Amino acid sequence: MRVLSKDFFNLRSLGPIIALLVVLVILPSIIPRFYIYILAVIFMTALLAMSLNMVVGHGGLFQFHHGAFYGVGAYTAALMLTKTSLPMWLGFVAGPFMAAFVGLLIGMFCVRLTKLYFGMLQISLGSLVWAIAFRWYSFTGGDDGIHGIPLPSLISSTKGAYYFGLILLILCVTVIYLIFKSPFGATLQAIRDNPERCEAIGINVRRHQLIAIVIATFFAGVAGVLFVVVEGSVFPDLLFWVFSLELFIMCLLGGWFTFAGPILGAAIMISLRTFVGIYTEYWTLILGIILILLIFFLPEGVWGYLLEKFGFQRKKLLEKEPDP
Amino acid sequence: MLRVEGIHKSFEDFKAVSGSDLTVEAGQLVAVIGPNGAGKTTLFNLITGQLKADRGEIIFNDEDISKLPPYEICRKGIARSFQIANIFPRLTVFRNVQVSVLSQQRKSVKFFRPARMLAVKETREILENVGLAEKADAIAGSLAHGDQRTLEIAIALGNKPELLVLDEPTAGMSPEETGATMELIRRLADSQGLTILFCEHDMEVVFNVAQSIMVMHQGISIIQGGPDEVRNSARVQECYLGGA
Amino acid sequence: MESGYTITFAALGSQFLVGLSRAMILFIVSSGMSLVLGVLRVPNVAHGSLYMIGAFAAFSISSLFGGGSTGFWLALVFAPLVVALISFVAERSLFRHLYEREHLMLLLFTFALMLILGDLVKMFWGADYRSIMAPEMFQGAVPIFGSPFPKYNLFLLGVGPLVAVLLWLFITKTKIGKISRAAAVDMEMVGAIGINVSWVFAFAFVLGCLLAGLGGALVSPTVSITLGMDHDIIMEAFLIVAIGGLGNMWGALVGSLIFGLTQSFGVLFWPQFAIVFPYAAVVIVLTWRPKGILKSVW
Repeated sequence: MRVLSKDFFNLRSLGPIIALLVVLVILPSIIPRFYIYILAVIFMTALLAMSLNMVVGHGGLFQFHHGAFYGVGAYTAALMLTKTSLPMWLGFVAGPFMAAFVGLLIGMFCVRLTKLYFGMLQISLGSLVWAIAFRWYSFTGGDDGIHGIPLPSLISSTKGAYYFGLILLILCVTVIYLIFKSPFGATLQAIRDNPERCEAIGINVRRHQLIAIVIATFFAGVAGVLFVVVEGSVFPDLLFWVFSLELFIMCLLGGWFTFAGPILGAAIMISLRTFVGIYTEYWTLILGIILILLIFFLPEGVWGYLLEKFGFQRKKLLEKEPDP
Repeated sequence: MLRVEGIHKSFEDFKAVSGSDLTVEAGQLVAVIGPNGAGKTTLFNLITGQLKADRGEIIFNDEDISKLPPYEICRKGIARSFQIANIFPRLTVFRNVQVSVLSQQRKSVKFFRPARMLAVKETREILENVGLAEKADAIAGSLAHGDQRTLEIAIALGNKPELLVLDEPTAGMSPEETGATMELIRRLADSQGLTILFCEHDMEVVFNVAQSIMVMHQGISIIQGGPDEVRNSARVQECYLGGA
Repeated sequence: MESGYTITFAALGSQFLVGLSRAMILFIVSSGMSLVLGVLRVPNVAHGSLYMIGAFAAFSISSLFGGGSTGFWLALVFAPLVVALISFVAERSLFRHLYEREHLMLLLFTFALMLILGDLVKMFWGADYRSIMAPEMFQGAVPIFGSPFPKYNLFLLGVGPLVAVLLWLFITKTKIGKISRAAAVDMEMVGAIGINVSWVFAFAFVLGCLLAGLGGALVSPTVSITLGMDHDIIMEAFLIVAIGGLGNMWGALVGSLIFGLTQSFGVLFWPQFAIVFPYAAVVIVLTWRPKGILKSVW
């Protein structure tokens, strides 16, 4: 069990994490149902933002249309649950794999290009997927989407969905963390910093980027399955490019060069949308203003700022290499 | 070990390299000199694959490498440094070199082992060798310029190259730093038996160190030979010393 | 058999004209985006919002003057200017401070601008559908290929090439135009010869946004003006610029033609999936030439 040894995990940060998890496990028994639901939405969005940040923050790719893969995961699961009589779990498994497959297809085109070209091409290809979901009424339900997806009673309740989401989030974030700390993760961050140099030290940059995209889109697919469980429906807005850019903002908001930043970013964003939305219908206006403030005053994101301000010692500890 | 023959490269209408030859024997310390704009960097970029030649041959260990992408050329045993500090600015100094060592050990695509336990010994050795050991935990982007250039060489050493290609390793350095860097290069050549190819626009720096010198002028190689032969060549005097 | 053929031919012909006039609007909007992309190297996500504001402003201006022909012509002139003014204020007050920063920040700023402008339009004009009448001389239709073709579309077919020629003259013949073009290719050089780069950026940005506003004003008599009209156009402009070659004006024209024509022929052949045709065309073009048909300026 090397994987779970202290080489990977910083024991000092384990304490707060466990405390947080205990709170999250107990929470549903004391808070109202609406808040349980909002937390479940945050889990799902946090997972999605984490998966995006793998390629954006760690990999330096302009993954502009991550939502497309999330949508593919959700639609695949939803279609398998409603249109086939295959076992339920097969739909849940197929979602992420389908998302990763589409990620591979689109990624193969995109990694031939860099930066803005990469982003533009991905938006184009992702929008094609959106157009299909939006228009193919007989198959995807068109702009109505698919509703009333049958789910097992264990996870169809709000509490059930909450725990299902929490477990998936913990599992996936652990795996993403392992990858982040692995040689592959280290190499990916090196590619983000300087792709030309990486080529010159014998790294096949495009292949690394493609692998990163496939992994990230797989986790986007997991988040898509989670969406089906939490909402019990799917609709084409999941794949719309505006949502993809919102995801991008979550990464930036939390701090895209940090590991946990996107979770924080997703939590802030979902809370804002929910609670500002209660008071005013102009919540995107407020989001826009917050975004501008962020660009000007906190370019490293909230988590990045906190780390810099209060957590510097811990950050240093994390990066310190052991003696041979 | 390395043989470049009649290599050409143009950008639009500008002929950057038009007929350049170069030979590097195993164990040699070879310098390419020439004024700014002579095509030295283009030549190096052609050798290590950042650019593709219009025509001509690049033979490394009896194999034509002129069509290979940079990462494959690196895996054949040629590592390089760049003229501008080309490092990984957000990573630590240690990680900068480690990434290179991991690549050399073909461990870049490992997922479930902690990176910080891998290739530690080799990385430490290299950092001690170039004198960056005590700065191992610093963020590379925060290093002084001279240290960044040294780190650049350390990254290249991580690939355990047979041939080390250094593009103006002393560019932008103070005289003391230049001396220290040339000393480092000589020590690497002596102690590790590395074959080194480097370029430089200042002739004096080169003559004390290199065993073989190739002179470039306007994209053409004029001569290659020992320091004395080059110093006494009439053509070199004419188009390099006189023309400058 | 034979009559079937002629009907198809007539339908093809009229769909061709429909696609062509749609392409003109697309060209005007996407050439603006292409200009900003070429000089500032950022896809202006707020471009669609400015187009929407152009349409709403055209509505307000034309109703201010009684909604007749005069109102329309005044709207056509002043609506783009309103949009230009908005973009000028945004650029000088905030955007210009980001030029030295990481590039992605520029993109995020335009996204923030899109969010803000979208809600401001909602505040100002509300969520109702609005519409404008075309001026009398362009109302009604004329028969072409045996089917009625709106006169206003003929007007668009004239305006499109006119804008293209004016833009071309402007960029190749005037000093500021030449500087913008040089800036698109080599920013450092422009800075080095002592030109204030920040003002070149401002100029390109405002001109680009003005074209978005013009597109919005021009399209307003043919559609219902409503919230959400920004989302479709921005995507289309994005794709057109991508297939044409980033920052290339003629690329925007070629891309618009491809997009407009595949869209209108798609309606003819497979109405349900008409929307998919242009996207598929984009995929085909980008598979064949990932950087666009014409050479990108950078």
